[in-house]
Amino acid sequence: MSLSEQDLYIAGAIGFLTLCSVITRASFNLFGHRIPLSDKVRRALLYAPAAALTAIIVPALLPWVPGSNAALVDEKLFAAIIAIVLFQRTRSTIIMIVGGMVSFWLIQALFSFW
Amino acid sequence: MPDLNEPPLSSMQPDDFDFAFKTRRRAALKEGFLGIRPAIIPTATWGLVTGIALVKSGLTEQAAVIMTLLVYAGSAQLTSLPLIASGAPLWLIFAAGFIVNVRFLIFGAALQPYFKSLPWFKRLAYGYFTTDMSFVVFMSRFGHAPAQGTQEQRWFFLSMIVIGWLTWQISSLLGIFLGAMVPSAWSLDYAAILALLGITIPLANTRPMLVAIIASGCTAWVAQPLPLRLGLLVAVVVGISAGIWAEHRLNKGRT
Repeated sequence: MSLSEQDLYIAGAIGFLTLCSVITRASFNLFGHRIPLSDKVRRALLYAPAAALTAIIVPALLPWVPGSNAALVDEKLFAAIIAIVLFQRTRSTIIMIVGGMVSFWLIQALFSFW
Repeated sequence: MPDLNEPPLSSMQPDDFDFAFKTRRRAALKEGFLGIRPAIIPTATWGLVTGIALVKSGLTEQAAVIMTLLVYAGSAQLTSLPLIASGAPLWLIFAAGFIVNVRFLIFGAALQPYFKSLPWFKRLAYGYFTTDMSFVVFMSRFGHAPAQGTQEQRWFFLSMIVIGWLTWQISSLLGIFLGAMVPSAWSLDYAAILALLGITIPLANTRPMLVAIIASGCTAWVAQPLPLRLGLLVAVVVGISAGIWAEHRLNKGRT
């Protein structure tokens, strides 16, 4: 079995993500007080995960390519809006994921009939 | 909670010692199970969705299994999927995974006093297997305990992380195999985005956080033509700055 470039890339991604898990979870346990974590840094870290997650979600929902005439909005956005409303109403992520998925299929079917 | 006022173990005879030790251990392990029990169904659901999303977003079954077993971090795995699909550089995947996981640094700072007397490999293991739910349950129970780092506390924690690991791994492996059987036409990769939304929306619980999210989202939308998905980093920096700025403004408005 020979490894393709893609296999190595995936293996590298898994390796680096494993490193992320070990560093973020175990470094305080291992090195304790030797890690400086000032209040300022803590405050910045408070906003980092939400900012990163949003920055992953937005291009996935609203992709655009310069110079392309492809539609800016599609069923992904509409289904996401329905999913968000469902979550606000029920506070249940399970209902949100199932409801969002079902809306996605329905809107997709609707668009193909258009 | 086990009685903290019982006599110290060293004052007992060997037989008593052994019996008392086992009784206390069983009680603490059971307490841990009862503590984490409400989280089992939500964790299993997440694991299932994550497993399905992994194989539906382009990873082979084999890669998905290895990733789940090694990385053991649902939000970081889901975050990496669009980056891997677009061939982003490995250092950016590392940076994104790190940022999403950075909450564990803060958890780790709070948990460290409970494990500091242990040898390094045990400290490493307790750290690596820490989850959001085990942290929340543990701190709500022992956060104000008079003594930090007792044997009971660690048994309690151990019980939670073992159950958490089994629940997550079994459900996400099940998701990987289910996902491999479902046709791609069902677009179940979209469930990965919904799962990320489900993690992100509850974070928007303060006004500065909402400002950070909106700023990051707008930046990420505008910055899409940047190569190597570098828009992600720009958006994170803008989001953090906006959040801190909003916090300052709100504080000033109050005084």
